[in-house]
Amino acid sequence: MNKQSEKIDSAVPEWQLELDKVGFVRKLLLARKWYKGDWWFVLVSAVLLLAIIILGVFPQWFAPYDPKAEVGPSLLAPGEETSGFLLLANIDDHVETLQEIATKTNKIGYIMGSQATQALRDSLEIMNEEAEKEETGITYQPRGYRYEDVQQGLDALQAGEIDGFIVSSEELGDHLQDYPGIYFVEEVRSSKASSFILGTNQLGQDILSRIIWGTRIALIVGLSSACISFVIGVPLGLISGFFGGKLDRILTLIMDSLYAFPGLILAIAIAAVLGAGIGNIILAIAVIYIPTYFRVVRGQTMTVKNELYVEAARSLGTKTSTILWKYVFPNVLPSVVIIFSVNVADAILTEAGLSFLGLGLPPDTPDWGIDLARGQDYLRSAWWLITCPGMMVSLVTLSFSMLGESLSEILNPRLSEL
Amino acid sequence: MSSSLKKFLITRVLLTIPMILIMVTLVFFIMRVLPGDPIRSQLGPRVSEEQADRLRERLGLNEPILVQYGTYLKDMLTFDFGDALTRGERPIREELGEKLPATLELTIPAMIFTSLVGISLGSIAAKNRKKPLDYIIRVFSIFIYSVPVFFLGLIFQIIFGVRLNWLPLSGRMDSVLLTTFQSKTNFYILDSILTQNWAALKSTLLHLIMPTLTLGLSLAGVFIRLTRVNMIEMIKSDFIVAGRARGIPEKRLVFKHSLRNTLIPIMTLIGLETAILIAGAVLTETTFSWPGMGRYLVDRIALRDYTAVQSTIGVFAFFVAIISLIMDILYAFIDPRIRY
Amino acid sequence: MDKKALMEIKDLSVTYQTRLGPVSAVDHVSFDIYKGEILGLVGESGCGKSTLGKALLRMIDPPGEISTGEIIFKGEDIMKYDYNKLRNFRGKRASMIFQDPMTSLNPVQRMDEHLIEAIGVHEPGVKRESALKRSKKMIKRLGIGADRLHSYPHQLSGGMRQRVMTGIGLILNANLIIADEATTSLDVIVEAKLMDQLREIREEFGISLLMITHNIALVAEMADRIAVMYAGHMVEIGDIYKIFEHPKHPYTQGLLASVPNIQFDANEELYKMPGEPPNLTHPPKGCRFHPRCPHAMPICSTREPSLLEIEKGWLVNCWLYQKHQD
Repeated sequence: MNKQSEKIDSAVPEWQLELDKVGFVRKLLLARKWYKGDWWFVLVSAVLLLAIIILGVFPQWFAPYDPKAEVGPSLLAPGEETSGFLLLANIDDHVETLQEIATKTNKIGYIMGSQATQALRDSLEIMNEEAEKEETGITYQPRGYRYEDVQQGLDALQAGEIDGFIVSSEELGDHLQDYPGIYFVEEVRSSKASSFILGTNQLGQDILSRIIWGTRIALIVGLSSACISFVIGVPLGLISGFFGGKLDRILTLIMDSLYAFPGLILAIAIAAVLGAGIGNIILAIAVIYIPTYFRVVRGQTMTVKNELYVEAARSLGTKTSTILWKYVFPNVLPSVVIIFSVNVADAILTEAGLSFLGLGLPPDTPDWGIDLARGQDYLRSAWWLITCPGMMVSLVTLSFSMLGESLSEILNPRLSEL
Repeated sequence: MSSSLKKFLITRVLLTIPMILIMVTLVFFIMRVLPGDPIRSQLGPRVSEEQADRLRERLGLNEPILVQYGTYLKDMLTFDFGDALTRGERPIREELGEKLPATLELTIPAMIFTSLVGISLGSIAAKNRKKPLDYIIRVFSIFIYSVPVFFLGLIFQIIFGVRLNWLPLSGRMDSVLLTTFQSKTNFYILDSILTQNWAALKSTLLHLIMPTLTLGLSLAGVFIRLTRVNMIEMIKSDFIVAGRARGIPEKRLVFKHSLRNTLIPIMTLIGLETAILIAGAVLTETTFSWPGMGRYLVDRIALRDYTAVQSTIGVFAFFVAIISLIMDILYAFIDPRIRY
Repeated sequence: MDKKALMEIKDLSVTYQTRLGPVSAVDHVSFDIYKGEILGLVGESGCGKSTLGKALLRMIDPPGEISTGEIIFKGEDIMKYDYNKLRNFRGKRASMIFQDPMTSLNPVQRMDEHLIEAIGVHEPGVKRESALKRSKKMIKRLGIGADRLHSYPHQLSGGMRQRVMTGIGLILNANLIIADEATTSLDVIVEAKLMDQLREIREEFGISLLMITHNIALVAEMADRIAVMYAGHMVEIGDIYKIFEHPKHPYTQGLLASVPNIQFDANEELYKMPGEPPNLTHPPKGCRFHPRCPHAMPICSTREPSLLEIEKGWLVNCWLYQKHQD
């Protein structure tokens, strides 16, 4: 005993022993002073996590659009203006805005199959909303006329058969030169927003809204699967480490094999058998992280079990469950907390991986992995489809990993490097 | 070879058997015992019950579960996986025989790259502990770890494939060359060298760069961290302090004494990394349309060919067990404490 | 004995910058190590004796640092050495043996590699063959068969490993060997044998030996002089016979009284020193020993005494032997 205490004393300066006596909350508070250089690690990860959690809990506050709605033209680059459609009219009519020729009695033409119809519809919707607000009592609902090509439409306009003609500049070409009586009135936009901060995807969904809603999915999957692994892995580890014997050997063999097995492959297999759906994905991911908890908890339990205070409690006839809960568990807790946070990061990565492979969630879910997989097809033309979802996965994983790293510094000062 | 080393090797080889057995059993459990009917999902709802039954009979799925388990084990251990249910219905063994070399040609260079980057950056960080360089490397390693491997691949594709147009986007070789290319071993590098087909070799190497870098970099994060931790432990250890007291130069202490001792846990680490490596390979192969085992697996899952899926996962299990065995044996040869 | 100082330590302090403030593990310590002597450095765990031993080779790692003082070795202040000179000093002039011989040798390096490396590092001109020859000679001198040279550390016994460690110091003709608890992990018989050998080596090579230990019986048997440390302070230093006969400092008295003696009377109880060694983050004011001292006086709790000579070569750090007002 003497020899051992001598060694510990020389290896561990007194102030570190002092440190162990401080409570959890004070440790966190004092950490700023102690970990000078590492402190920003804690701070950055805490701020990031807070932001991510708020984003995940209240996506509706931040997302400008419904993530599943097609709100704009497809494949619009970030910040790019939607190309407007040109409203043409006859000079003699002296039209200045769309409103003037958009009542029920008016007639507006467009080319068959042109996006112009959508633009017109959207514009009318806005006009009608305004009209309702101002209680003017007007309903804007002109009759639509379809034409096979530009020339037919322009002819009709010149002939006065219709009051206006909506056409894109590509469709129009340089035909306007041939019709001196027709002039350009104003631009008609296809949607309420003229541009999207992060652009739109191939379906015309707003990418910003999708990645914000994706946060919720990632957090749900990451946290709940980590909780399940925790709830199963920790007790098994405690029991196996504390009682030892045959049960321990069998459990260890199974857990070791499970641990050595490539996690993603296992998750792929489980997800493939169970089928898509958020519950199945959570389950598949939870299974592969149970061994991580089990191994660490078992190892620490075996060490703690032989400590004098546990032996003492045993010799006093304390109930086994009490010993496990009151003596062993608190000692194991710090490392489990660290594993938990790293586990959430891993789970989010795995979920993104599964979705990327098309095994995760139903295809319409606003999920980063799904968006990445879909974006791959548009690699050449639309880089923004994958950049933002990918960065979000990285950012969230990074925050949880950094949290784990800083927690391990704070909770285990002596093992700060492990 | 001393007798204790022999004993170690024999025990280690014997220990691999239950490990493979449990892994393979695990696959069986997942594929057959979990709820979900593979045959139904294979055939879809439109096929009649009779047809489903016929397929079940052909695959032996109508037998009691224990008998199924027995046949399954026998098939697995003799590498006789039967025929695929989809796409030409070729024997799965033949198909995997083509896919495995592709996967190896991707994973081995990636692993070498990871080890080089991980060990060098890890030891530099450890040597400069708590200095700016250490923080930069640490942040880099956490960052690299956090970026999903497929995202890294896609970014590389955009930068080097689309924007700069330096490297081919996907596949193992230019399709033009592939039509005339004779492959015996399915290791394209080896084949092109053997047939002295230099154009093919160049094309293969160019195709290999991006996937290897992607997979290697994404694994490097863990590797840097673990090398650093082990190295720091080692630098703090008594024999380094004693070496310093003997006046041995610091550089020699770090790069000769610590590194050699750090390599021992790193050997085990490489063994454990196999799991991450394979997971990474599946995603990388999908990203780069690399015709290896991972992509085969994902393809067959999409086609719901569950015989092929089950066999592929089984082969992965073998792969992991064998690599960890090899690593442990190498470990024994590096560490004199086990050797004698 | 020739009383020429090999190493003079003047006002040496080692301070650790901790999260609870600076801690002086060694506080303004001055003493000499004479040529060819065995000096025993004793004290309780955590009193700073190991730190002092490491400080003599400037082996204090951050967050600790040598905050004040000079270490003069053969007329040169090693505190002023640059890295290369210091490296040459370590190993070649002064060597250190550590507590655990198992962990202080590189586990994947053979014995001969250890010895040859030491020679190669300090005497770059020497060829490998001649280094090997010297190693063989040295190892034989230490009573280990030459065939053991090809062994790895784990294949040798604890005593052998410790002798090899000593040999690495001797092979370069070091003048000072610092043995930090070198025998603590060995069993009694091996310990005695190693000690005998160290004594022989001292005579043969004329080296000085600083023996850091908490085993007072060992010091009594081996050392020429004894130095006693308490809470980072040197409290008493002097000739071993004189101090064992009449310890002056109350701490030394207590320390010696608490050593079991074979001849002691079964009825006589072993002395137990009251109290605990102080926490160095908040050392007591005045003499650091006063809270535990049976002879404490009012001045002891207000002012620090200094280490003063009470007889030639016998210094005590206690108000009992120093003039003071009141």
